[in-house]
Amino acid sequence: MAAASRPHELPVSEGSMSEVAVISTFDSDEECAQGILALHDARIHEFRAFYPFPSEKIMEAVDHVRAWGRSPVRYWQLFGGITGVLTAIAITFGTSWEWNLIAGGRPIISVPPYIIIMFELLILIGGLSGLTGFFVHNRMPVFDPLPGYRSRFSEDKFGLVVQCDEGAAGSVESVLRSAGAEDITREILEAATDHH
Amino acid sequence: MTPRQPASLGAAAVRPLRQPMQVNWAPLNRLGVVLFAIGLIGFVVALIAGRSQRVWEIWLVNFLFFNGIAQGGVVCSAAFYLTQARWAGSTHYRMAEAFSLYLAIGFVLFWGIFVGRGSIFPWILHPSLKQQLWLNVPFLFARDGIALLVITVASLWLVSLSRRPEARAWASRFSEIDMPPVAIRRLAPVVAILYCAIYSLLAFDLIMSLSPKWHSTLFGWWYFATDFWSATVAMGLIAVGFRRVFGPGTSASAPGVLHDIGKMIFAFSIFWIYTGFAQYLVIWYGDLPTETFFIVQRFWHHPWTLLSWSTPILIWVIPFLVLLGARPKRTPGILGTVSLLGLIGVWFLNFILVVPSLSRDRLPLGWIELTITAGFLGIFLLCAIPGLKRVAAAAFEPVSPELQPRME
Repeated sequence: MAAASRPHELPVSEGSMSEVAVISTFDSDEECAQGILALHDARIHEFRAFYPFPSEKIMEAVDHVRAWGRSPVRYWQLFGGITGVLTAIAITFGTSWEWNLIAGGRPIISVPPYIIIMFELLILIGGLSGLTGFFVHNRMPVFDPLPGYRSRFSEDKFGLVVQCDEGAAGSVESVLRSAGAEDITREILEAATDHH
Repeated sequence: MTPRQPASLGAAAVRPLRQPMQVNWAPLNRLGVVLFAIGLIGFVVALIAGRSQRVWEIWLVNFLFFNGIAQGGVVCSAAFYLTQARWAGSTHYRMAEAFSLYLAIGFVLFWGIFVGRGSIFPWILHPSLKQQLWLNVPFLFARDGIALLVITVASLWLVSLSRRPEARAWASRFSEIDMPPVAIRRLAPVVAILYCAIYSLLAFDLIMSLSPKWHSTLFGWWYFATDFWSATVAMGLIAVGFRRVFGPGTSASAPGVLHDIGKMIFAFSIFWIYTGFAQYLVIWYGDLPTETFFIVQRFWHHPWTLLSWSTPILIWVIPFLVLLGARPKRTPGILGTVSLLGLIGVWFLNFILVVPSLSRDRLPLGWIELTITAGFLGIFLLCAIPGLKRVAAAAFEPVSPELQPRME
């Protein structure tokens, strides 16, 4: 599980030196959340948090420092829902006009039962569209391990990985150490490393 | 810990919200007494003038309306316990239970229907051999009276348990996963199930039997869903009322609490139209005159058209469209307006369920109806004041630190 930053927020990694990932390990989610806040206070925005379970404390801290605002997924949902209703109208009205069957003396276009089809397609296409939006905006699925990932971050430890220039790594390490990181290592990143 | 740090990090103690404020209850008390007096005078004058049918018609409408809010409120509280809802400390329990005292008075007012039965129930004057076994005076009033007594006692018992210190302490522990006190855990589902059964029975006996030839098996379900919703809008009005008196920053008036009540109003208005439409669709498909006449008379025949169409607009269309976003739910003026219109809609609904069955071509809406409704409202307000005082006290009680951001 990971909370990522946006690629355009790179105040400490814009340079000509080689780029490294500073990998810090925390014992608890509370310390990890404190680390996120400490990075924010030090104006370091390029980091990724790893945690073995959905930690409300870490998610709150990430949300707090990122100030992401409202999720764009809702527009996918809205668009899908409207598409669903329009599709249902086209299917129900269209087939009735095409076949012109009078059932029980009612008009060819009898709206009450069509409302069910409209509702169902609103939910179906709205839901599928929202799910698609969720995957698109989360850039999921991720098949290769993310830079700095360690398997223990899926077991019993919490990780904060900061991507920065090698020259800035020392100051990043001191911020993380003062926030309570129990172990800090560096990993040199490939030049073509993709920022997720 | 930075000043902008999220509340869940490092905070441990339960914090008081702010200094309690005193509320002047005298104006509400006076209003209740005046309305009650108006109602009493109207009731007596109308009976002397020989308008007994209109008196008992509107008596039944108001009995159903106000009992529905009070009972729906207690069921809301039971539902909160069943879902372990602690989103406003114990304050939302006090809000839901604010009108519970009226249930005891409502039980007494029920017997007014017995007094006026000859003016209300058509099957007394024109008994049907087929339905006589179920629709006869002794059996109907015995079963409804006993049922109402049982649910009133169970509801008041739940409310008394809910007001005990251990229940209030449980409600204030937001981040714990402990269960409510054991007596409440056992009684809350009983009250909820009794409500579904008894309010279905009342709907069949006191509303459907007014048109003895009409039947809909979904009617009871739809009717108790309406009463439950009317309690949520009454809670919305309470929250907005306290917002005016206290301002934000209490657990009765904070934007987060208004938001949650707004979500309930929004969700259950959809449930109301869902059950209503489910009932309508079955009738529409069957297209049997013995089923369709009930709807056709109300929605397509003068003078009921306007009132009938206004009910889905006030109960579903307006709450759905207006409360779709988060901001309107948190805005007191908007939430209060939607809640007030919703309550008016529920009153209209009770009116069009009862009255067209008894006076087919005439809309009896004059001084008799207004004064007697005012009288019921007066009694309801007087019964609500002790409950509202408890809401005011709970509004300033300490809340868990996790809830603190929602209260600001």
